[in-house]
Amino acid sequence: MDGVDGTDRQEGKQDGPTPSLLFIILDTNPHAWALLQNTLPFSKAIANILVFINAHLAVNNANQVAVIASHSQRSVWLYPRPPSDPQHGDDSDTGMDDENKTDTSNLSDASKYRPFALIENSLLHSLRKLIKTTTEADIKATTSTQMAGALTMALSYINKATIAFLDTGAAAKPTPTALDSSDKAVGLQSRILVVSVSGDLAYQYIPIMNSTFAAQRLRVPMDILKLAGDTVFLQQAAFTTRAVYLQLKNLQGVLQYLMMAFLPDQLARKHLVVPTQEVVDFRAACFCHRSVVDVGFVCSICLSIFCTPPEGAICLTCETQLALGDYGNKPAVIPKKKKKKKRALDGGSSRATPAPEAA
Amino acid sequence: MSDPSLASFEYLEKLPGTTFNKLYEQPSTALAIFRRMLPHLAKTFVMTLLYMSKPLPLADLDEWVEPNSQRERGDALSTLSRLHIVAITAPSRDNPQHVSLLPNFRKSLRYALTGGGNHHSFGVPSQDSDPDVTIEALDEYATSQWEGILHYLVHSVGGGRASGKLSESVTTLLTSGDLVRRPGSGPGAHGITKSGFSFLLQEVNAQVWTLLLLFIENSELLGMNSVEVLSFLFMLGSLELGQAYTTTTLTESQLHTLNQLVDFGLVYIPESTPTLFFPTRLSTTLTSDATALRSVGAGFDAAIASRGGESQGFIIIETNYRMYAYTSSPLQIAVLALFTKLYIRYPNLVAGKITQKSIGEAIRHGITADQVIAYLNTHAHPQLHKTPAALAGGPVLPPTVVDQIKLWQLETERMETIPGFLFKDFQDFKEYNDCSKYADEIGVLQWKSDGKRTFFVTRHEQLRDFIKSRKAREAAK
Repeated sequence: MDGVDGTDRQEGKQDGPTPSLLFIILDTNPHAWALLQNTLPFSKAIANILVFINAHLAVNNANQVAVIASHSQRSVWLYPRPPSDPQHGDDSDTGMDDENKTDTSNLSDASKYRPFALIENSLLHSLRKLIKTTTEADIKATTSTQMAGALTMALSYINKATIAFLDTGAAAKPTPTALDSSDKAVGLQSRILVVSVSGDLAYQYIPIMNSTFAAQRLRVPMDILKLAGDTVFLQQAAFTTRAVYLQLKNLQGVLQYLMMAFLPDQLARKHLVVPTQEVVDFRAACFCHRSVVDVGFVCSICLSIFCTPPEGAICLTCETQLALGDYGNKPAVIPKKKKKKKRALDGGSSRATPAPEAA
Repeated sequence: MSDPSLASFEYLEKLPGTTFNKLYEQPSTALAIFRRMLPHLAKTFVMTLLYMSKPLPLADLDEWVEPNSQRERGDALSTLSRLHIVAITAPSRDNPQHVSLLPNFRKSLRYALTGGGNHHSFGVPSQDSDPDVTIEALDEYATSQWEGILHYLVHSVGGGRASGKLSESVTTLLTSGDLVRRPGSGPGAHGITKSGFSFLLQEVNAQVWTLLLLFIENSELLGMNSVEVLSFLFMLGSLELGQAYTTTTLTESQLHTLNQLVDFGLVYIPESTPTLFFPTRLSTTLTSDATALRSVGAGFDAAIASRGGESQGFIIIETNYRMYAYTSSPLQIAVLALFTKLYIRYPNLVAGKITQKSIGEAIRHGITADQVIAYLNTHAHPQLHKTPAALAGGPVLPPTVVDQIKLWQLETERMETIPGFLFKDFQDFKEYNDCSKYADEIGVLQWKSDGKRTFFVTRHEQLRDFIKSRKAREAAK
């Protein structure tokens, strides 16, 4: 049959799937993890996430991964480690020795794919260091987590990685003029996965929403995996960036949830029905007390939100003198015109309904 | 098939299921096949099923996939079952169809992801190393070995004058793969063959796989265990460049393979320490994808540049289709001769002309217009880069030449052949309609005619099962 044409030109027209970058933001809030101690201990969660990372890397040779910890008072790189790690030399005399031993023994294990082993070592080492450097004072100081900072770092890293990828790899591919101009999958496909355990983050409302809109513009989905608590703004973030939001009921099956809902990248999601929220909580937080409000006051100039009218009716953001109108007065009751009750009682004789009688 | 090296994997699909079962005992093989051979959606399915405790009802899987993507779903599932990765239970009235991973594959992929087990399939690194073996040295070694093979092919064009550096086994392999013909092995049979030509213009990775598959087929004749050889190759793909590995844990077949691979330039064994081997860039990228391969190309360019600066462009093309190439390398001249009519040769320059006939000749050899253009583009002389159009970010080659080469190719593309199977003689229209619809869903349908009740598909295995189960259902009614 092939003799008719005799060539194999039909092959090799398609390009391979584009690599994707998975950026994991791990909420390491010690208070929240302490509450999960009985259902899903931290170590077990990390083990599950490591398998998930390996699965992501297994999908494509060029896939990348980055992990950042959103800790109680700061955001810390877990993988890849920053090139200038200032504390790197400090702890080399204390705990590094035995860690180094475990490192090498793990790496020479022929039963483990080396890139997987490298990431695991690096990640665990960074985590141990993070836990070691967390003092009691740090834990006492706050019960929340630095989610906004971690998101910002994630977005800047993704931006950097995208530019680097276009520079080196895609010489033959057309370079997109603007990141948000085309819908086609070009270059690196990035997404963020937030593994969140903390509750309300209302006091970080503005930075979180800003990074959400930045992510939306960059077309970076912000997947949210909620292990505990509920955060209004992360729900909104997932909704705005058209990403997956899952609140787990059964923490034992976390790996299966990760594999099924969060592993498919943008390319695969086109073909799948992805889990989304049925109801999104769209409430905002006020700018004055950082509390979530159902009904609030909005500055007519800069659209800042307040839970109570600011003092002197001066907007805290743009300092505009606002007029409150009659706010605070009791609603005036407009008296209804009284109808005569009699008419309703002796309705038969009313002129309004003559028809039934006539019939 | 998305690229040539993937096409070489078609060889694997022909293997029987038992071979697959044995292959999947090695986590590195399971990982390599998962990574390299599956469509994107299929990878998602595998990962979803990997940690599922019970088989997944097929109906649930269908619900999960967007209604518009049924074709991709069918494609993914048929690839998975062809490669013996998933099992789909036969449909019956009481039990709906279920899909699950085959136990061997599941176990190995789990091991690959989590580590553990005692399989040593990712290579046993050696503690001692050779300070002389640097990554540059390995690159240089791989390049020189591989170019030796290419030179052998090219020299066979001129008849004889082979460089003589090649080992006997490699030349036998090339001959048995019908890439070259030995002088005297047939009437008029002399030198490089048609498949040899297209081999020359392939990417390096595709070339390596072509040779390796030839080697595997040959090794079966020599009584070697092809499963062991294959899993050894997949293991090579997971090794790290510049790291020393020990040969002591290898089986006899694998040791033999290793010696062969030294000839190809895929591994390097230092003479002082014969129990160590170093994988080169050629082997560590065996199971990588296109992005990683570009780095191979870069590595090669660097290696060539360090030896003589030949990676600079040397071809000048004029708008009147004349071509001048500043080169004295027989390899490059031979490649140019594939698609140009050469008429002058000076010590450092060849001149020729691109004609309809010469391009037609190249296309008959299985070279595409894009390949020709890409070759000319990458080797364009710096002078061409200095033209006003090129400086403004425009094309480096004269557009008229590029367009004409493409047009010449289009002239020959009036027909496309697809091997496949014709289904006809259905009992009634309903049966025909069901079957053709199913064929379309699984993405094998090429052509159909409702009037004649016939249709044409590229693969028939799944369809056969479908028709069988449909018949059974009809009979049950």
